[in-house]
Amino acid sequence: MNVAQQIINGLVLGSGYACIALGWTILLGVARLVNFAHGQLYMLGAFVTWFAIAKIGLPYPVAILAAMIVLALLGALMQTAMMRLVMTQNLTSLMIVTLGLGYVLQGGSALLFGGNPQTLPGTLARAKVDLGPLWFTWQDVLVLAVTLALYGVVWLFTQKTRYGSVIRAVAEDPKLAELFGVNARVVYLLVFVFECSAVALGAALVAPRSPILTSMGFNEVIMTFVVVVLGGIGSIGGALLAGLGLGLFTAFFGAFVAPAYTTAAAFALLLALLVIRPAGLATK
Amino acid sequence: MTVIESQTPSRTNSPLPRAVITLVLIAVGFFLPRLLGGTSVAYSTLTTIAIFAVMCYGVDIVLSYLGEVSLGHTLFWAIGGYTAANLSVKYGLDGWTTALATIAFCLAAALFLGAVTLRTREFVFSLVTYAAAVVAYEVAFNWDAIGGSDGIVGIAALKLPLGVATFSGASQEDLWPVAFALLLLTLAFIARFRRSRLGTTALMVQMNPALAASLGVDPRKVRLAVFVISAPITGLAGWLYAYQRAYVGPDMFESYFLVMMLTAVVLIGRRILVGPLIGTALLIAQQNLLSLGGDWNKIILGSVLAIVLIFWPTGLAGLFRRFSKSKF
Repeated sequence: MNVAQQIINGLVLGSGYACIALGWTILLGVARLVNFAHGQLYMLGAFVTWFAIAKIGLPYPVAILAAMIVLALLGALMQTAMMRLVMTQNLTSLMIVTLGLGYVLQGGSALLFGGNPQTLPGTLARAKVDLGPLWFTWQDVLVLAVTLALYGVVWLFTQKTRYGSVIRAVAEDPKLAELFGVNARVVYLLVFVFECSAVALGAALVAPRSPILTSMGFNEVIMTFVVVVLGGIGSIGGALLAGLGLGLFTAFFGAFVAPAYTTAAAFALLLALLVIRPAGLATK
Repeated sequence: MTVIESQTPSRTNSPLPRAVITLVLIAVGFFLPRLLGGTSVAYSTLTTIAIFAVMCYGVDIVLSYLGEVSLGHTLFWAIGGYTAANLSVKYGLDGWTTALATIAFCLAAALFLGAVTLRTREFVFSLVTYAAAVVAYEVAFNWDAIGGSDGIVGIAALKLPLGVATFSGASQEDLWPVAFALLLLTLAFIARFRRSRLGTTALMVQMNPALAASLGVDPRKVRLAVFVISAPITGLAGWLYAYQRAYVGPDMFESYFLVMMLTAVVLIGRRILVGPLIGTALLIAQQNLLSLGGDWNKIILGSVLAIVLIFWPTGLAGLFRRFSKSKF
């Protein structure tokens, strides 16, 4: 068990965490909304990709696109149904509604895709790269590259463009933003649709590493919570750093302490941080 | 969601008839399984309803009176189950001891989680409670000393020594009085809580944070206090559930229980004393008697939760009230 390999593993895991957490970070940080169906959306994104490859026979890149489109449509549907709660900023009800919808997605996916574990064929997860004693796959490289690129683009978009400031204005005060001629409903809808396609993209990239199950739900993306809270709610740079840092922590903890308790260790890290710095790492 | 339940006038006026009605309801409730035919299905369904209703009341206190969402109550539910299973199977302890231990462990866990999240924002509280349940699942799944992935099978019948005699709950029929008593105790506790200083303060924090702040109330401390007293309620339900099933395992952490707790509370309407009980009864009746299979039941349960909150935020009770008002 050498250190260099664990650093690679950590970056591989961490870029996956950050990739899956991007949608949540935007939703929470930029629009101040929550979505507890995130885990089931991740599961669905993975299964739509699997279905497109294994059953329809689409090539991997097209399957990714298909998953993003399906999830975007689903997101638009969900957000339209929840619009009244969103406009009144009723976070309590939104948390519960999204949790209920996630449970519906879990039941529906089990009916559609069956209860057996599946693996995604035709991806780069088997394309192994050996560098002396070290190894990783081309899929890992793809995840890391896409994650870095996505975070860069999203950061530029939200911080440097007019549209970004419109979204932040809506998050700050939807009613006031509407007075200035911004259609807050459309902004919320677009942000939610973005969250859903982002998690579909994350699922299509990260899920090929391990078998997928319709019941995996939130346990799979519990790290998203940790990343989002560690990074300082909604900070884009913070989430990327927290994701990579958490990946390294998980890799080393799993290799040198106890692989079965990595989630518990990450959670202990989160609790410790909440006591020392309740607002997260990114804030000063 | 800021609709305060208006007290119906008849409820507050005359205390004597109210006590009589309550006693009659309790008597009818106790003999309900016999009234429904006295079959073992009637007993086990009603025992399950009583246990699950108690489970839901833990979440009800936090959601209805504090207006916050705890997604970690499956943790207390499992603590109850695991405490009962481990202490009775490995040390042969009786029901009173395992119940006391359940209360102690739940209070400690809730105090720890609540204190850690004391200075954070509300939804971070929800996130952390949820994460706590997932992590506890992982620990329960991997830690063989408390059952591991197989859980603990063969939990002996519930034994409650009562002075000279010993109550033993071997069958579903024997467990019914215990489940019913636990339900009554819980209802009495909730009724008392609604009128207590903490209950009214929690409601004030939820309804009018500005007023609460001006009176020097720290909403975070109120949240901690309510969260801590809610934990043993759900925990005791899990305690009895372990004896009813004679088995505990990591499946006590399943999201089914969480969705069930939330749905039972919002279905009838928040801040209604018997709301979670009726909600639980309706949902269990659907799952046990009109079941469409596991996956369809999930879709139904999740849809009920989402649809009620989206379209009738005050629940079926609010819908009924609106409907009956519009007629006059």
